[in-house]
Amino acid sequence: MLDMFDSAETIRVRTFAAAIGLLVLALVAQVSVVARLDLPGGRLDLVLTLLAAIALIEGPLVGSISGFVVGLLADLASSHVLGQSALVLCLIGYAVGLVMNEAQRSVAVPLAVIGGASVLGTLAYVAITSILGEAALTGGEAFTRAIVTGVYAALVTPFVYPALLLGSRRLAGNRRRSAR
Amino acid sequence: MGRDTRRTRLVIAALLVVAFTLITLDYRTGHAATGVRGAVHSALGGVENGVTAVVRPIGRTVSSLAHPNRYHDRADRLTQDNAQLRRQLADDKQITRLAGELASLRLLADRGQYSIIPAKVIAIGDVTGTDWTVTVNAGRDDGVTVDKTVLNADGLVGTVASVTAHTAVIRLACDPNSRIGARLERTQLLGAVAGGQGPGSLVFTLYDASFRVQKGDRLVTFGSLDYVAGVPIGEVTKVTDVGGLSRTAEVRPYVSVGSLDLVGVVVGRPPADPGDRLLAPRPVAAQPPPAVTPAPSGSAQPSGTPGAAAPGAAQGGAG
Repeated sequence: MLDMFDSAETIRVRTFAAAIGLLVLALVAQVSVVARLDLPGGRLDLVLTLLAAIALIEGPLVGSISGFVVGLLADLASSHVLGQSALVLCLIGYAVGLVMNEAQRSVAVPLAVIGGASVLGTLAYVAITSILGEAALTGGEAFTRAIVTGVYAALVTPFVYPALLLGSRRLAGNRRRSAR
Repeated sequence: MGRDTRRTRLVIAALLVVAFTLITLDYRTGHAATGVRGAVHSALGGVENGVTAVVRPIGRTVSSLAHPNRYHDRADRLTQDNAQLRRQLADDKQITRLAGELASLRLLADRGQYSIIPAKVIAIGDVTGTDWTVTVNAGRDDGVTVDKTVLNADGLVGTVASVTAHTAVIRLACDPNSRIGARLERTQLLGAVAGGQGPGSLVFTLYDASFRVQKGDRLVTFGSLDYVAGVPIGEVTKVTDVGGLSRTAEVRPYVSVGSLDLVGVVVGRPPADPGDRLLAPRPVAAQPPPAVTPAPSGSAQPSGTPGAAAPGAAQGGAG
């Protein structure tokens, strides 16, 4: 079984710092770089993709906390209601973290999970904005958009996930992952 | 991971409670934590500005790969538009003749009276992708204030929603919360343009059921204290009349959200020194289809009172 929380405290602090730092970078890249690409059909959600990958590797605790922190930052940096993306990202991080043990079974699992997380996350964003009465999209649009987001996420997963896995092993100094 | 699951659950429960609290607080009180927001905004704005400067050429290349014909298309479209506008001007000869002097005077006045702060779009939307806003790299220090009109070479972009020292957030005209006073070309009929239909479409509501809106009619801003008048908005594509007390129509905006880059914030109508400001990047492609109604309202100032909307009704029926 994984005993990820038994590793030294410093490793955990470093993991959190790295995860949050990475996600903040993604936050900036999302609005300044990805949004500019004007991808056909929708957009790639860099933050959701990275968060799902991190949560899949590091588990629900890291996933939910870093999701929350970055979500809060994103809320502060935007003009919508405070806390809504914090909520969504926190839940996504937690939910994805729960299936971390399945990730080793097959290559398809990370693909499906990260893609699915992007779909769910996008839908959750739309749901929460419409609950708060600021609906920007109709149901059908939101759905296609979510699917497209998921597809893009699945497309970049083969590049992002192994890189993050490698980074995570480096951080943990082989201790945690050597069992695999 | 038995005990960790429990701890994790505790943590996530706490986080969720915090998130809900924040949402409730912010939703109830309007805007909590504006100070923190401003700080985060300007910090991230600086980073975004840098990133954009580096990345823009790359992004351009990539996006022109993804849409190979985009710039050609755009050039074609612009020349077409140009030609069309010229033809229209020529076609409307009698009107042009009738109001020739007035129109040109007014056109000139309109042009002269916009003073524009040019700004570059440095971020589009936010992470959730549900905000129809863009962030630009001009802010309070440059003279931008909240509620000013923003336009680009195509027409109306939106209004300034919030400013920090060096950045400003612009609420696009297609944002569901956006509502901008508009009038039909050639009339003084007041209506409003609202978003909420996605980026490619706006909803125009005309507050006068007796006037028939037609496909192809064009809209410009009505103007008020903060918003300048005469900025082109878009063209009616479909009349979705409901037969009530007002008329509604779908409008295709002239500005394409996907290709926003350089915009101008209109900071003043009163001609402080219209001469120099106009040299700034292509001020207003304002061929506000010359508002020909012999608007007796004197100057080009369509005085903030929307009550003066009526006179064009009967005469506008021709269009």
